[in-house]
Amino acid sequence: MDSGPAKRRKLDHSQDGAEKALESAVSTGGVSRSRAFILEAEELLEEVRIDYKTAFEGADQLLHKIKGSIEAIKSREPLPIIEAATRFEKKSKIKIPFPDPQPPKNSNYKVAFAKPAQFNVVGSYVSKTMVKTQKEHSVDMIVVLPQEILQEKDYLDLRYFYKRAYYLAVVAKALQKEFGNQGQLSYEYLNGNPLCPVIAVQPKAPEAKEEDSKNARLQYRIRIIPCAPEGFFPKGKLHLGASLVRRGRDSESETPAHPTAFYNSTVAAEGSFFSYLKLLRQTEKKCAAFKKACILGRTWLQQRGFGGDISKGGFGHFEWSVLLALLLQGGQKMGHAALSTSLSATQLFKAQIQFLSVMNFSEKPCVLGAENVDLEDHIESGPILYDFARQLNIAFKMGAWSAALLHQHAKWTRNLLSDSSADQFTPTFILRADLPSHTFDLFAHLNYSDVLDEVIGNDYSESRGRIWQLGSKVYRVLKRALGDKELGERARVIHIQTPEQPKWSLSEKPKDQTRAALEVGVLFDPANMSRVVDKGPSAGASAEEKEECERFRRFWGDKAELRRFERDTIRETLVWKSTTPFEICEEIMRYILALHLRIGHLEDDISFYGNGLVDLLSIKPADTTLYNVARKEFSTFERDIRNLDDLPLRVRQIAPVCPELRHASVKPPVFGSLKSGPRPMECVISFEASGKWPESIAAIQRTKIAFLVMIGNLLENSKQGVKTHVGLEDAHFETENLAFLDVIYESGPAFRLRIHSDLEESLLERQVKDKTQEQYLRQRATTQLATFRRLYTNLPLHGQTISTSVTRFPALSPTIRLVKHWFNSHKLSCHFTDEFIELVVLHVFLSPYPWDAPSSPSTGFMRTLLFLSRWDWRSEPLIVDSGNELTNSDRTTISTRLEAWRKIDPSMNHTVLFLATTQEPSGVAWTTLKGEAKPSKVVAMRMTSLAKSACKVIREEQLTLDPKRLFVPSLKDYDVLIYLNAKVVKSTLKTYEHIDPAAVESSSQNGGSKFKNLDIVTGEEPLPLAQHPCDVLLEQLNRVYGGGPLVFFRGQAGEDNVIGAIWNPGMQVRTFRAGMLASYKPLKKAKNNNKKDEGDEMDVDEDREEEKVEVEMNREGMLAEIARLGGIWWRGLR
Amino acid sequence: MPSTPSTLGDFIVLPISIPPLPSFPKPTTHYLYLRRNTPKIPIPSDSRSLFLTNCPVDSTDLHLRSLFASLVGPGRFESASFEDERKDTAHKLSPLDAAVPVNAVRLLQAHGSTNKKRKREEEEDAERSREDEAARLPSTWTRPLRKSGSTAIVLLADEKSVEQVLKACAKLPKTKKYPEWGAGDVASKVPALGSVWLKQHNRLCYPDPATLQQAVDAFSAVFARREKEAAEIAKRLRNEPDEDGFVTVTRGGRNAPASRTEAEEARKKMVERAEKKRQEMEGLYRFQLREKQKEEQEELLKRFEDDRKKLEAMRMKRGKFVPEA
Repeated sequence: MDSGPAKRRKLDHSQDGAEKALESAVSTGGVSRSRAFILEAEELLEEVRIDYKTAFEGADQLLHKIKGSIEAIKSREPLPIIEAATRFEKKSKIKIPFPDPQPPKNSNYKVAFAKPAQFNVVGSYVSKTMVKTQKEHSVDMIVVLPQEILQEKDYLDLRYFYKRAYYLAVVAKALQKEFGNQGQLSYEYLNGNPLCPVIAVQPKAPEAKEEDSKNARLQYRIRIIPCAPEGFFPKGKLHLGASLVRRGRDSESETPAHPTAFYNSTVAAEGSFFSYLKLLRQTEKKCAAFKKACILGRTWLQQRGFGGDISKGGFGHFEWSVLLALLLQGGQKMGHAALSTSLSATQLFKAQIQFLSVMNFSEKPCVLGAENVDLEDHIESGPILYDFARQLNIAFKMGAWSAALLHQHAKWTRNLLSDSSADQFTPTFILRADLPSHTFDLFAHLNYSDVLDEVIGNDYSESRGRIWQLGSKVYRVLKRALGDKELGERARVIHIQTPEQPKWSLSEKPKDQTRAALEVGVLFDPANMSRVVDKGPSAGASAEEKEECERFRRFWGDKAELRRFERDTIRETLVWKSTTPFEICEEIMRYILALHLRIGHLEDDISFYGNGLVDLLSIKPADTTLYNVARKEFSTFERDIRNLDDLPLRVRQIAPVCPELRHASVKPPVFGSLKSGPRPMECVISFEASGKWPESIAAIQRTKIAFLVMIGNLLENSKQGVKTHVGLEDAHFETENLAFLDVIYESGPAFRLRIHSDLEESLLERQVKDKTQEQYLRQRATTQLATFRRLYTNLPLHGQTISTSVTRFPALSPTIRLVKHWFNSHKLSCHFTDEFIELVVLHVFLSPYPWDAPSSPSTGFMRTLLFLSRWDWRSEPLIVDSGNELTNSDRTTISTRLEAWRKIDPSMNHTVLFLATTQEPSGVAWTTLKGEAKPSKVVAMRMTSLAKSACKVIREEQLTLDPKRLFVPSLKDYDVLIYLNAKVVKSTLKTYEHIDPAAVESSSQNGGSKFKNLDIVTGEEPLPLAQHPCDVLLEQLNRVYGGGPLVFFRGQAGEDNVIGAIWNPGMQVRTFRAGMLASYKPLKKAKNNNKKDEGDEMDVDEDREEEKVEVEMNREGMLAEIARLGGIWWRGLR
Repeated sequence: MPSTPSTLGDFIVLPISIPPLPSFPKPTTHYLYLRRNTPKIPIPSDSRSLFLTNCPVDSTDLHLRSLFASLVGPGRFESASFEDERKDTAHKLSPLDAAVPVNAVRLLQAHGSTNKKRKREEEEDAERSREDEAARLPSTWTRPLRKSGSTAIVLLADEKSVEQVLKACAKLPKTKKYPEWGAGDVASKVPALGSVWLKQHNRLCYPDPATLQQAVDAFSAVFARREKEAAEIAKRLRNEPDEDGFVTVTRGGRNAPASRTEAEEARKKMVERAEKKRQEMEGLYRFQLREKQKEEQEELLKRFEDDRKKLEAMRMKRGKFVPEA
């Protein structure tokens, strides 16, 4: 069918503006989300853009001046290096920043100074790709050393770098003289590379007159970077395998020299500033969006803690832009460029992320610009990203770990960018993803100062310094220990953080960094980390197998032992003593580091972080077993019910609806506690559809009672050791659910059963729709229908969702428990439904960007707090799509629904938080209870502010944070504190069918027959708890004062013995009328002239004018009332 | 308290002194406000009743009795009815009222018990309250709480007592001898609050199964009777023309009208069938395709606009686009 022409005609008639919008809509890609991403990225670019004119005011002049003064430096005659150095240092107070090892005393090559061959400004100052959010802004000026003072052989044995250092010191001396009073001069390492010191000139801060204004001058600095002339050193000699630092190992000349890949690459990089500058300029011209893509890349790297500095991973903006430029250039596979220059900035960004996520150049060398170049042999020395045209390994500053982490981050971001349902922008560019407590499951500080000399000695073949070398050794050992593919990778990422070298003053030596700790971060593979037994190679007879075993033994030392397994296999085995994933990891790390590197012989040599939260709640692996036991007991219970013969209807389903049966309660279920009556776990039973239910809601409720009584009797008759009780709900209307059945097994477990009747739902629906009904009745029916659906439809489904997710994510259950504990400790939990908290945590697992799903409770908890602190619930719905079934239009509908709610109820009295799930798209099932918002707006705001301050503390204190601090409630925020008498609470937990507590009370008061009571008590089982007494009391308090003068806050029943409350400030003073919502006392000043003879009583007509009498809340009166309610239940009120 | 006013609007202020308790060791004053009861719909006992507001949350009959006794001496107080109790009767259906088949509510209202009631009203009432009592489920509380600031109506012995009470109240500010809450042996007569109260509640939540069964049976009996009545009325209606000569048409067989559920199911099926037919017809004609395309375009445009708007809104909330430091 050809509908083309018709369509075109239609379009022609459409209006201009609309057409344009349509065009741009189409051009920016199909899906709504990615369009939003593009628009948001544009906005970001606009936001971080720097106005170079004002921001770098005076930079150009300063550069010119510096150039002038360097050119004016007099040449110095060549002198032997040691002589020149001593003479120079004697004359001026400036130290020459020679790299380690210091130049040998007996060397006779000469250093000199001559006018630089060339000056140039390079880096992001010229390309204008800096952003405001950068930590430091620097303008890089390169100073090319003249050829006459260099020799071709200088690339050997650091000679070039000695000459460079001398040259730099001379320049420093001149600049010190010239600019010493205008700014601050200091040395620093270029990208943390100890071979390349540079001078940084920090101009004095301008007068702070317009600091607040957006375009104020930035605190920039100018770096003066000496470098080698282009192509001076023969590239062929600088290949990755060459060994160019031979000194210091003459004595042991038999051993083959180690290749010095990093050194070689540094020398090569020294000579390629210009060629890269050219490459970038060309690409800028060719590709319009290149710069923007670079800025996006810079932001992305920065938020993940990456930078050009060696301590920041050695992959920064420069590496990003060069890689992108190379991808845009021809000469890739088949002679085509990998990327088209016509792509937009976001497309380029995405493409680059894709590239980084596919190429893991820490494991396989990646060569750009040529094919069939084999660099496999050099991968041991570090990640390889080889620019063939310029013969340089761009990734030479990276460690294997940082390349792995970069790869991992790129993978995560790629996942995010392909998930059209998530918010792609914020996690990609806005969130900080470099906090160790959010990223790593375990973090360790290694204190190595004792062993540094022992392990590394005086080996200077690694130019990045001894600490770095130690770090790489640690990495190699840990990688083998935790990332062994044969055993099953325990860790997904192992990261090493080396200390950063700060700048130092011209007259000093660089600061010694050997005191700073080496940091190790580990990201678990939750499935493997909890493994207690490692099965190594099998001990066979063949030579191969023997060798395998030998290698295994050599690595693992005495820990390896032979064990026999099923089917008579004998294998090398490791058995770990610890139980939790964290402890196992700690045990392995301590063992293996001590074995190979002698770190950790002393207990405090290694300190571990990340387990504090788990310790706090004493979450044990055994807990899982307890939950499973509860599940098993439930199955028994279900079978017992199904096996009843005489039920009039067939059982369709029995579904658990309580957190204990979905691995989500703070404490795992324990049965048969002697301290309280049994606390039944709630379940819902539904029968096959039947026409026998009466056509009246009240009658259905009564029928249910009869049904429950019957089930109870049948169970007691058919099973030994089962006791049942029919209990009454605290119902207000005949049409509500009136009763439940508690089934108590002798062995301990107890269950509570409620009956689901499908007719009830349709009757309620009919009432809601019936327009002839009175409004209040319809309102009530609506509330009841919501309660009904929640209990019988949503809760069973929710239970299933959580149960399956718990098996999918091993860290989910403990995270839920931690988060619930947090809500409890801040006395918020009585305002939130269990299900809400569970779903929030589930959301953090399902949509974990910018990371992957948390693999330990502590990262899960931290990220949940992060989410809560950032969730703008006023305008954003929370959508938890556990089954991945919601379409985009579903999501739009959900958002529209939230908007509609906000329009109807802008002050958020009825609907506050909005949480939609696959099964429950209405969004309010878990955030309203009995027609009221749960939590209310005030409480929701409190949650956000608490989460915010928690996140702030986490960010500020990082690893030094004591996790207990996150759980300390601030009691001073409450106006009233009610202290519970723990002893009395405990006593209330047990009640008996045949003992009247009032009688017991009075008899014990009279000092009467205590023992008689005891006799009865011993013979009788306590009744189950219909509800925890603390909950009952709070409910009563809320009924009496709720919605009015006081808002109560409390944590988990039985745990938290302090109830906090806040007076409603809006109800302080009110106009008097009958039936107010609180107790009021007359305002004293309200006394008017109207004081009549008391005997005259009130005269209605007279008092008309006085009708607007104001009264004040009687706070003390109400507190006294509360005190009367509680009696000895309270320990005190404040 | 020197300047506490003695009246508030047309209410007289009755301060009550509250004795201190160990958990709140501070004597306080509660203020009760009272006036003559003048409801919108007067009843004969109005003249001897008082309207109270701001009752303490733990008020009981006994508390008020002792309060009035201390004001005007014993024997004047007859009874008190609290706001939530009155609401109970007005709003909360008694089990008897609830025991009506849904489809028969209107039938019974329109044609049922009305004429019968006229006949033997008193007899009926007595019977009704007896049945009501039988069908009611046992309460789970030994002592209910009142909502804070709620009202009550107190019935006194005669009109004179009302006068006396009001006078006594007016005199109080002069003497400064406020009556004490729960004075005398009230505390020992009313069920205790606190932990005993909570324990009692838990006990009462599990009533004797036999009692429970009786209540359910009583209810079922009434319900069955009503159901039968309704069925009879419906049957009668099918054969009897109403005042205007129309005969109500009811679906169903000779014996009983069809249940509402059945009708609903039939309707659902019909809607489903219509929907299926509509779907089959989709995309059959060229104009439909064209319209669909147009719709899609419009949708695209709309979403683009939406995005723009959203972005605009986000821009208003500043800081959203700046990477976190």
